Amino acid sequence: MTLHWEAAWQAVIHHPLFGVAITLAAFQLSYAAYERTRWVFLQPVLVSMLVIIGLLLACGLDYERYRDSAQLLTVLLGPATVALAVPLYLNLRRIRELFGPTMITLLMGGITATALGMALAWAFGAERMILMTLAPKSVTSPIAMLVAEQIGGVVALAAVFVMITGVIGAIFGPELLRRCGVQHPAARGMALGLTAHAVGTAQALQEGDECGAFAALAMSLMGVLTAVLLPLAVSLLL
Amino acid sequence: MLLRGLTWLVLFQLLGTAMNVLLLPILPGPIIGLLLLFIALLLRGRASESLQVAASSLLRYLPLLLVPPAVGVMVYTEAILRDFWAIVGVLVVSLVFSLVFTGWLMQRLIDTRKRVGKDAS
Repeated sequence: MTLHWEAAWQAVIHHPLFGVAITLAAFQLSYAAYERTRWVFLQPVLVSMLVIIGLLLACGLDYERYRDSAQLLTVLLGPATVALAVPLYLNLRRIRELFGPTMITLLMGGITATALGMALAWAFGAERMILMTLAPKSVTSPIAMLVAEQIGGVVALAAVFVMITGVIGAIFGPELLRRCGVQHPAARGMALGLTAHAVGTAQALQEGDECGAFAALAMSLMGVLTAVLLPLAVSLLL
Repeated sequence: MLLRGLTWLVLFQLLGTAMNVLLLPILPGPIIGLLLLFIALLLRGRASESLQVAASSLLRYLPLLLVPPAVGVMVYTEAILRDFWAIVGVLVVSLVFSLVFTGWLMQRLIDTRKRVGKDAS
């Protein structure tokens, strides 16, 4: 009988839907844990990632196999990126009201967030591959991963850098801004959304509507600008 | 309703992919799709309800869609652990500086505009 158990087990873990199943399960578990505790370190993506890596190691599966069997989910990343155009369009009126300050802050802040990270890494002697992976760290992950791939970085590492940046921003951002005398909700939202993307935006939404709207705005504009300008800048300058 | 919006999103993504191959190899296909959809919405003047439903449902599950690519980290575990503190250091310093700078700049610009507005009135 042991032989049949083994065969059934192998059939299950090698089924083309196994990756989808463990991803859905791990995500819902981590999301429930986050909802219950509201603890910033329990970011659902981070926790699901750790749970799935543990499961894969326990089942003796490698990443390539998991990636193939989770394709049903990853293929939706493209349309999801396209979907960012909708909230951007719906917030157009708010952008118009504070158009000047928003655009200047976006350009200056965006260049600072991108260039400073690359400059620091360069000073530490990191290789080109790491520089290109670090460049889009302040952008929401789908865009960061697309851009990293485009300019010659490592897609998976880019996602980690994005995740770490977002979590640090959400944990320390609000307190830092308060200490530096930044009180206007639009300014707090811009800072959180521009530098800490989706995680920062989630944090900003808890501070209020206006703060959250500007964070979402800053996140999408920063994403689009990075996607458009960073590959261009890299191909021209480096 | 949801399906019609979803169809548009997928169509714009494919349109972006075609443009990426034909004209703009430096921009990823989905990003071109995003820009095209944004322009289309501007021209049309409104976002249909089906598109809004599809977009908000997809974006609600964006974190879930990000999990499989994030698992790719397991391939680089050793490289990350080797340079762990350097990586975290770079990320923390650049984040703290740019976050404070961005917030401060926006606050200054808003304050300046308010003052100018008051003086003018």
